[in-house]
Amino acid sequence: MSQYFAGIDLGSTMTKAVIMNQTVLASVIGPTGPEHRKLANQVMEEALVKANLPFADITYVVATGYGRINVPFADKQITEISCHARGVSYLLPEARTVIDIGGQDSKGIKLKDGRAVDFVMNDKCAAGTGRFLEVTAEGLGVKLEDMGKLSLTAKNAVRISNTCTVFATQEVVAKLAEGAPLPDIIAGLHEAIAARVYSMVGRLKIEREVALTGGGAKNIGLVKALETRLGYPVLVPPEPLLTGAIGAALLGKDIVREAVEKGEALLRSERRLTEATFFT
Amino acid sequence: MTEEKKPEERKKRKTATEAASKIGPIVKATIGGTVRAREEGKPIAYSFICCCYDEIIRTMDIVPVWTENYAGVCGAKRDAQRFLERAEAENFSRSLCTYALCGLGFDAWREELGEMPPESPWGGQARPDMMLGSGQILCDPRNKWFQAAQRYMPDVPVYDVGLPWPPYEDDYDYREVQGYYVKYIVEELKGLVQFLEKHTGRKMDWDRLSELVDLADRTWNLIWETYELRRAVPTPMGTGDAMNTMVPIVFMMGTQEAYDFFKELNDELKHKIANKEGVIPDEKYRLIWGGGLPSWFALTDFNYFNSKGAVFPVETTYRMVEAIYNFDIDLSKITDPLEHIAWRWVKFWTYWYDRAKKRPGSHPDVERLIQYIEDYKIDGIVMHEAFSCRSWHVGLIWQLNLLKKVYRDIPSLILESDIVDISSYNEADTKARIDAFIDTLEAVKSKGR
Amino acid sequence: MPEEAAGRGLAAADRYYQDYGSRARELKRQGKKILGYLCAFVPVEIITAAGFVPFRIKGDVNEPITKADTEMETIVCPLVRSCFDISLKGNYEFLDGIVIPHACDSICRTYDVWKYSLHLPYSHFINMPHGTGKPSLDFYQAVLGTFRTSLSRFAGREISDRELTQAIKLYNQNRAKVRELYGLRKASPPLISGTEVARVLIAAMSIPVEESIKMLGDVIEEVRQRGGVPARKSARIMVVGAQVDSVAFIELIENSGAWVVADDLCPGAREFFSDVTVTADPIEGIAERYLRKVKCGRTYREMKGNYEEYLEDRFGHMSRMIEDFKVDGVVLYIYKYCDPFGFEVPQIKSYIESKGTPVLYLEDEYSMSTIGRLRTRIQAFLELLGSK
Repeated sequence: MSQYFAGIDLGSTMTKAVIMNQTVLASVIGPTGPEHRKLANQVMEEALVKANLPFADITYVVATGYGRINVPFADKQITEISCHARGVSYLLPEARTVIDIGGQDSKGIKLKDGRAVDFVMNDKCAAGTGRFLEVTAEGLGVKLEDMGKLSLTAKNAVRISNTCTVFATQEVVAKLAEGAPLPDIIAGLHEAIAARVYSMVGRLKIEREVALTGGGAKNIGLVKALETRLGYPVLVPPEPLLTGAIGAALLGKDIVREAVEKGEALLRSERRLTEATFFT
Repeated sequence: MTEEKKPEERKKRKTATEAASKIGPIVKATIGGTVRAREEGKPIAYSFICCCYDEIIRTMDIVPVWTENYAGVCGAKRDAQRFLERAEAENFSRSLCTYALCGLGFDAWREELGEMPPESPWGGQARPDMMLGSGQILCDPRNKWFQAAQRYMPDVPVYDVGLPWPPYEDDYDYREVQGYYVKYIVEELKGLVQFLEKHTGRKMDWDRLSELVDLADRTWNLIWETYELRRAVPTPMGTGDAMNTMVPIVFMMGTQEAYDFFKELNDELKHKIANKEGVIPDEKYRLIWGGGLPSWFALTDFNYFNSKGAVFPVETTYRMVEAIYNFDIDLSKITDPLEHIAWRWVKFWTYWYDRAKKRPGSHPDVERLIQYIEDYKIDGIVMHEAFSCRSWHVGLIWQLNLLKKVYRDIPSLILESDIVDISSYNEADTKARIDAFIDTLEAVKSKGR
Repeated sequence: MPEEAAGRGLAAADRYYQDYGSRARELKRQGKKILGYLCAFVPVEIITAAGFVPFRIKGDVNEPITKADTEMETIVCPLVRSCFDISLKGNYEFLDGIVIPHACDSICRTYDVWKYSLHLPYSHFINMPHGTGKPSLDFYQAVLGTFRTSLSRFAGREISDRELTQAIKLYNQNRAKVRELYGLRKASPPLISGTEVARVLIAAMSIPVEESIKMLGDVIEEVRQRGGVPARKSARIMVVGAQVDSVAFIELIENSGAWVVADDLCPGAREFFSDVTVTADPIEGIAERYLRKVKCGRTYREMKGNYEEYLEDRFGHMSRMIEDFKVDGVVLYIYKYCDPFGFEVPQIKSYIESKGTPVLYLEDEYSMSTIGRLRTRIQAFLELLGSK
C-alpha cells in the first residue's frame, strides 16, 4: 500500500508544492503573494488534483520556507536548510555543497552523508539574491528573463563596485550613459552577485561537487559567473525550484519511517485542508 | 598613489606640489624592497604607524611592512575587494576595520597558495618574521589584527606595546598621572627591544638609537614648521597632497630620507608663497579636514573640491607631530632614548589639554580645531565617516556639535564612505553633498559673516 | 526591606528586570548616590567601598535608536548606542555619575560623548591596559589608584583598605552564588532555564550587591524546591558572546526547542567564574582579577608556548564548560561593529569545532527587529544537531 508525502516550500517570491511516494508524482509552482495561508491551500489543492489523490491519502505534510508557519495543515515545519540538503542529496547524490539563490535570500549548505552539517545564510541584504538583478534590470530597462542570456554576449564585463542594490543601479545607469555596452554591464552585474555568493559560501570551505538551486540556477548567466569563480562546473537539478519541497516531502517520509521503527506514535497536525480553507 | 589604474577611467589625480607627486614611486619602491628583503633574508616585521617603535626598528635594521599602508595601496588601486571577500570567507565580519580585513584576507590567501596571490598590487605583502602590535587608545585592531593573523602564520611571534596616554578629565590634571604613564611605556619599549633582540639575534645599539631619536625630533619640528607655511593666502598645498606627504611622517620616521623630503617640501612651499602660487588660482573657500581617514580610492574628490574653488590648507588626519620646542618640558634634557620617546608620546597626546581647561565646556580635540580655524583662516569644516574605523571616526559628530557650541557656528559637511571598501562609496551622492556644502559656504560668505 | 514589595527570588528578579532601575530609583529617594557604569570591567568593589551604589547601564532591544544618532555615529557597537539612546531618553535620570572603562573602541571612544551629553556631577574613565604582563599590571594598579583618589574626592572621604576588603568579600560571595546557580543547569534536563538565569543575572546588575546575594540565594532555594521544569527539549546549547543584556535572544533559542545550559557571556559565566583574591593591598587583588583572570577578547593575553597552547590558554575554559555542562552545540552570538570579538570569531569557531562541537556563528544588530530574523538559523542549527 503506497504512502504519499507532501512538501510545501513557501518562499518569499515563489511557492512550490510536491507530492511524492518513490518519485515525484505532482508538482506546482506559483508566485507567493501576501496571503500565505490561502496560497498554501491553493497549491496543495492543485497538486492533489494533478496527482489525482484526496488529501486524506497524504500520510505526512512538511512545510518549509520563509512562510512555513502559515501552513496550518502541515504536520511539521522544517527549515529550508534541512529541506534543501535532503532534496539535493536525493537528486544529486554526488553533491557536497549546495548554493541556493532565491528571490530575496541566498544560502550555502555543507552536506555530509545526505544531511546538512553546516550552513550560511544571507537574508539581510539584496546583493547576492535575485532581487539585485530584478532592481538593476528595471533600472536598465531590460526584462529580467533576458538578463542571463544577454550577459553571455559580453566582451568585457564591467566591474561594478557598489554592492548596495540602490547604489549599484545608479552606477550601471551612469555607465550605460557613458557608453559602456549593455551586455558588458549585465555581465558585470552577474559577476557581482557571484562574488557576493562566493564569499558567503566560502565560509563553509566549499567541497565538490557543488549543486546550484533556486531561481538563480535558472539564470544561465549566473551559472556561468559562478562556475568562473569556482573554476569548475556546477550541477543543476532538472527543476531547481523544487529541491526544497522535494526535500520537505522526503523528510516527512523519514519521520514516518522512524516513528514506525521506534514504535512511537506519529504526531500529526490536527487541522486538515478543508478546515483551513474555512478560516481563510 | 597619484594614479588610479582602472581601464574604464584614466583619471590622474593632480597634486599641487612636486614633492607629493614623488610619493607614489617611493611607496612602490619601498614595498618592492620588502619583498626583496624576504629573499635577502633580512628580518621583516609587520608594523603599525605611530607606535613609538620607528626609531627602534630602524636602529636594528629591521624592515617594516606597514600593513595599513599596503591595504591603502590596494584601496587606492581599487583592488581591495577580493581580499575583503577572502576575509569574509574566513568568517570575519565586514564591519571590522577594512585595513585589517584586506590584510587578513591577503595573508590567508598567500599562506594557502604558498606564494603571493595572483597580480598582487606592487608585488604583494611580504611574509613577516614577527608582528608588532600595540595596545591602548590608538585602536582595537592594533591588538587584535595580528593575533588573528597568527591563525594563518602560527609560527610568527607577536609583541604588543602598551601605549596609553592620560585621559582628559575635569577633576585632576594629567600631570598628576603622567609619571606612571611614562614608566609603563618605557617598560613596554624595553620589552620590545628584548623581543626584537631575541628574534633577530641582533643587539640594540643604544647610541645609534639616540641619534635616530634626535633625528626624529628634528624631523617633527621641520614637519610642523613646513605645514605651518600653509597658513599663507593663497595656500600652497592642500590635504590632497598631505595624504601623500603623510608617507614620510608615518612610514619613514627616523630616516634621513624623511627629513630630506620635508626639507625639499619646505623649500618648495616657500618658493610658491613668494610667488603667491596657490593650489588653485582663484581660492574662494578655505576648509579644514577636521577628522577621518580619507577614502583611498577617492582621493580625486579633493580635485573636485578644488574645481569649486575650495582648498584645504590644514587637516588633523596624519598630522601626527607638534613642534617639540613648544612642549612644556625641555625634551632635550631627557637623554635616555626610551624615556625620551615615552615623554614625547605623552606630551604629544596631551598637547591641547591646557588650552581646553581655559575655555569652559571645551575639549582638547575641539581646541585643536579652533586653533587651526583661526590660524589658517578657515571658512568651513569637513569630516569623513569611514564606517569600518571606530577608532578615529567616532566622536566626529560630537566634536562638530561642541565646536559650534563653544566657538561659533561654522558650516560643516560630513562625508560617509570607507577607507578601503569601495562598495560603500557613492560618487554621485558624494558630489551632491559637496555641491550643497559649497552653496552653503557661498551663502555664508555673501552674508559677510 | 524591598522584598515585601518586590516578592522574592524569581518574582523579584522578574520585577527588577521588567522595571530596570526601579530599585536604584528607590535608593536614590532614600538619599543614596548611584553611579552608572558600562561593561563588567569596572571594578564595582571600589564603587561599593566608597559608599555608592553601582548600577550597570543596559540597553533596550525593543527601543529603536533615535536620539543617540544626533551625537553618536551609527558605526558604534549597537549595544553601546542603545545604552546611550535610552540614557538620553531619561531612563536613568537617577544617576549621579558615570564610570567607563577602557573596554573597547566603541566604549572608550564614546566616553567624551557620554560625559558631555549627560552632564552628570561625576564621570571617570578607567584607562585599563590591554596587555597582561607585569608592566601592564603595575600600570593598571596605578590607574585604579587614580580612580580611588578621584572617587574619594567625590565622596568627600577616604576609601579605606578595610572597606575595600569588605566589598571584595561581598562580591566574591555574589559570584559564588552565581556559580551555585549555574550548578543547577548541569542536570538533564536543567533545573532552571537559560531564560530564567539571564533574567536573574540582568536584574542583579541593577541592585546593591547585598541584595543580589539574597536574591540569588532565594532563587536557588526556590528552584531546588520546585524540582525541575518538565518540558522535553532536544539540544543543550551554550551561547558565547559579549554583553547580552536582554532575555530575548536566549528565549528565542529556548522557544525553538532547546535548552540554554551554559555560556561565555556577560552577565554570565565570564563575569562570575573568577574571584578577587583577598590581598594585603586590596587594589592588587582587584587588578589581578580584572586584568588577568577574566578571559575576554578585549584583553590581549601574551602567547606562552606554541600556537595550540595559546588557543588553549585563551579558549580552554569554553571547552571545559562544554564538557561539564554536556553541551551539544555552541551559538556564537556577536554584534555587528564589535572589534574585540569580531577578530576572534574564526579562532573561537575553529577551536570549538576542532574539539567536536558544532558552532553556529550569528552576527546581529542587537534590536528585536533583527533578532526575529535569527529564528530560521537557530532552528536550522537545532535540526542539524538533531540529525547527528
